[in-house]
Amino acid sequence: MAIFPSKEWIEEVLKVAERSEEYKEASKDWEGDFLCIIGCDEEFLGDLSRKEVMEGFMSFLDMMPEDGRKKYRGTPMGDFLEKRLGVSLDASLKGLDLNEVLAKISNLSAEDLSGAALYFWADFWHGGIRNMMGVAPGEHEDAAFKLSGKYGSWKLLVSGQQDTMRLVMSNRLQLEGDMQYMMKRMKAVVALAKEVLAGVPID
Amino acid sequence: MYFEIDPQVAEDKGLSLLRQETHRFAEEVMRPAAAALDKMPDPAEVIAEDSPYWDVLRQMKKLGYQKIFIDPEYGGLGISGTEAHIILEELGWGSVGLATAIGVDQVPPGVASIFGMGDVIEKVVQPFVEDTEAKYHSCWGMTEPECGSDYVFLCEESFRPHIRELHPGQVKAVKDGDGWIINGPKSSWISSAPAATHVGLHVTLPPHDCLSNGAFCIVPLDQEGVTKGKPIDKLGLRDSPQGDLVFDNVRIPDDYMIIRPPFYEYRVGQIICVTSCFMGAVFTGLARAAFEEALKYSKDRVQGGKPLCEHQSVKQKLYKMFEMIESSRYYTRKVMEHVWSKIYIEKTFDASSRHALSAQILGTNTAFEVAHEALQLHGGYGLTKDFLVEKLFRDARASLIMDGANDILSLAAAYNIVEEYQA
Repeated sequence: MAIFPSKEWIEEVLKVAERSEEYKEASKDWEGDFLCIIGCDEEFLGDLSRKEVMEGFMSFLDMMPEDGRKKYRGTPMGDFLEKRLGVSLDASLKGLDLNEVLAKISNLSAEDLSGAALYFWADFWHGGIRNMMGVAPGEHEDAAFKLSGKYGSWKLLVSGQQDTMRLVMSNRLQLEGDMQYMMKRMKAVVALAKEVLAGVPID
Repeated sequence: MYFEIDPQVAEDKGLSLLRQETHRFAEEVMRPAAAALDKMPDPAEVIAEDSPYWDVLRQMKKLGYQKIFIDPEYGGLGISGTEAHIILEELGWGSVGLATAIGVDQVPPGVASIFGMGDVIEKVVQPFVEDTEAKYHSCWGMTEPECGSDYVFLCEESFRPHIRELHPGQVKAVKDGDGWIINGPKSSWISSAPAATHVGLHVTLPPHDCLSNGAFCIVPLDQEGVTKGKPIDKLGLRDSPQGDLVFDNVRIPDDYMIIRPPFYEYRVGQIICVTSCFMGAVFTGLARAAFEEALKYSKDRVQGGKPLCEHQSVKQKLYKMFEMIESSRYYTRKVMEHVWSKIYIEKTFDASSRHALSAQILGTNTAFEVAHEALQLHGGYGLTKDFLVEKLFRDARASLIMDGANDILSLAAAYNIVEEYQA
């Protein structure tokens, strides 16, 4: 079981994609990266009160180079981290006292997260995932596709409980990019959800 | 019972049983009801509370025929394309009008079960799936007074550069808070509309400039602002009540907007692929019904001192009918299996619309040509109400227009073939 989003989750996804022959075959002609935007809401705040989720969240942020992490400063997510949780964007997150951070969560509400978002980028290329990592706001804005939605919708997607199309059709996830390209390569999209994402159970 | 050429189907006991059971229902329940409905002088009687239309629909729902096109994840039968084709051919053999009723009944819950989420699953899909009393009944609202078969062109990517040359659509939806407001008319050819509780509706969205800038939504027809027209009086398919729908500031929640831009123009064609396969299958059933009427009659009727079937010219006609029906069954079943796989199993939604459209065209043309020859073999008696072939001929004639006129279906497919086929 992996926490979404976390360093462990990203590493597991990369491993599953690497060994899935079905995914490789279905996406062999796919060329296109995704900028993924997770809108952090009340559900996210609730999950963060669990130590393992907080740990995963911090590992996700820590994957970013320090310069990248600093770009969150001044954004709602930066304010949430620095002003509400007391987490400095300047220092490494490795030695952070999670209990201290967790103690602050119980006093927060959804308003404290208003507008906050996390970003990760995935580069899908000819049957593989060349790269997948947490990124800062403003990075990879030129990605071929942009997929955004609330944390709860992302969990439905990455857990394999709902397929991508159903989430996008119902506007729970918003997709931007060359639709014609994607519609012609739905095999790759279906295989990513079924063979890769569903292969990494989340906690 | 017809010869089955596919050994996988012929030797499968489950499929044989499915065919026999559906055929029995078609013969014992659908045929008598369809005959009674066809003879009703006032089309309004067809949807009256005590009409056989409702008896058949209730029995169909008890048998689960309303779940053929529902995603198995939400209670669908989970059958194969082959099984669906076998069921639909038999239902078409019984009555294409009543088969159409159970077909359009599944458009809103079927589409919602594949693409929808949230309230629409609980409030529309589940009640339809669980309904065994025909408390719920749906129709499919596509055609409009000023753009009849135009929507068919949305099937074809190759037609996209020309899409703005078509009428921009008359039924319009605009976002209003957490829901949508719908206005405009759908034309008189909406099968089951006068009897329906829900419609799967095609609308255009602001700036309302093009059919492809549209959406598919579900509208409960008990909403304020909905006007259902009276059933129209027509030549064929008299057992399928058709009428118009008009929307005047009708409100639906956001979850009922199932397919919206930018997906609409890609997904609407896939819905048409399914309905085209449906048409191909049920009208192959009608063709077979007409052929069987002709065969029986040709064995009973004596002319020139011997049964009609002993005359070589009649034998040749019967053979030609047989060949056409076998071809239609083989082709429409193969296309149904392809479409089924792409939509219900692989969920890649890349079914070939050129093949789906041609399955509808082949099935309906076969139905018309076979019914025409079958009537001809009956001589003058074929024109009388005493013989089933007269109804079959009228129903077959309607098929060349319904669900997209064949002229338009073939034109839409032709755009694709000219563009894509590498000679």
